[in-house]
Amino acid sequence: MNVPIRALGIATSIFWVLLMAFMVLAAFSVKDLNFDFGEPQFTPAPDGQLTFSLPLYVDNRGYYSLKEFHLSTVFSDEEGEEISRANTYIPVIPHGENTTIVHNVTLSTASLFENGEHYLFNDNNLNVSVTAGLNFAELLPVEISTNFTFPWGAPFYNFALGAPSYGRSSSTHDEVTVPMSFENHAFFDLIGNIRIELYDGAGSLLDETQTLVDVPQGSSYDGSVAFNVPLETASLSTARTGHFEVYFNTGLLEYGPLVIPYG
Amino acid sequence: MAKATVKAILVYLIYFLLVPMLAPLFELIPGLMESIEVFVIVYIMLMILGDLTAKTVFQYFFSTARALFFMAYLLLSMGDGMFNTSYENFSLTVNLTLFYTVAVLLSLLGFARTILQAINFMSERAEANSGLQL
Repeated sequence: MNVPIRALGIATSIFWVLLMAFMVLAAFSVKDLNFDFGEPQFTPAPDGQLTFSLPLYVDNRGYYSLKEFHLSTVFSDEEGEEISRANTYIPVIPHGENTTIVHNVTLSTASLFENGEHYLFNDNNLNVSVTAGLNFAELLPVEISTNFTFPWGAPFYNFALGAPSYGRSSSTHDEVTVPMSFENHAFFDLIGNIRIELYDGAGSLLDETQTLVDVPQGSSYDGSVAFNVPLETASLSTARTGHFEVYFNTGLLEYGPLVIPYG
Repeated sequence: MAKATVKAILVYLIYFLLVPMLAPLFELIPGLMESIEVFVIVYIMLMILGDLTAKTVFQYFFSTARALFFMAYLLLSMGDGMFNTSYENFSLTVNLTLFYTVAVLLSLLGFARTILQAINFMSERAEANSGLQL
């Protein structure tokens, strides 16, 4: 019986040494593993989609390949409602190689703005939940997750129509000039059309006008819009109260009417 | 006694060499260092006691106790095999189930070996006694 016992002891010891060697090498491999994030890029598409691309550089100088790498991001609004979800899956990151992974997240502005005008006119924070996982050394599944807020800049931040000024444009029409201003806090350039309808206090449409805007990201717009109101329209000259209805139309978003009273 | 000392020193040396490699883990997991220290102390004590009681049946008691202690330590520390830790806003989960399973299976083999050794010792002693009686 001594021989089987000795054989059992030797076999157990060999397996222990192998297991320990694997763990030590795995620990050293983690040390030689580098993850680095590149500059995120935003690409607006004409169909109202915003693509957020995040390059991820993985330098695997360890002893083992990384398998089943997956990265998922979930964008949600302040109420926790999901806005966008994206997944990236890489089957193998070979050892000794430098791999670049591009994680693309598509944000639909339509779904963002359908929750209201909040995201159009006010800066906000989107909640982002990120989960990354991989199968390390083919035996140890590892997962890391985090939550953070992503600043959302409003494309029409602080949108305002000033007090109308009145002047005679012709013998039959009055010209009503209205200053318009906003700041483009969004991470994309704003090119589009703003249509404004002028209503008097009785709710009658007096005139409408539209203006093209081309506002690069991070800059402000200061301009004015002019209306030609027929002189026989009594309500404007008497009451001088009413409201504007503003319609926004860019390649990324379509919104309106935004009702702004005046007078 | 000399054998026990040499083995204890060897085990301590292994522990001494491995600890710096696990240093990053100690920062992530509070209490891991203390837990490993307690484990090494108890393990070395049981090993020394086993060597001191060599050639008696108590040697196998201590060997069995050591194997059982090792398994119990593994089972208690592993829980469900999922290692979770948080640092600031990050949460890390490592699935160590496979590693723990292999470790527990190997320690089961060690436990079986000590039982076999004890049976062998008792049977040899019974054979020797019966030989004397004849």
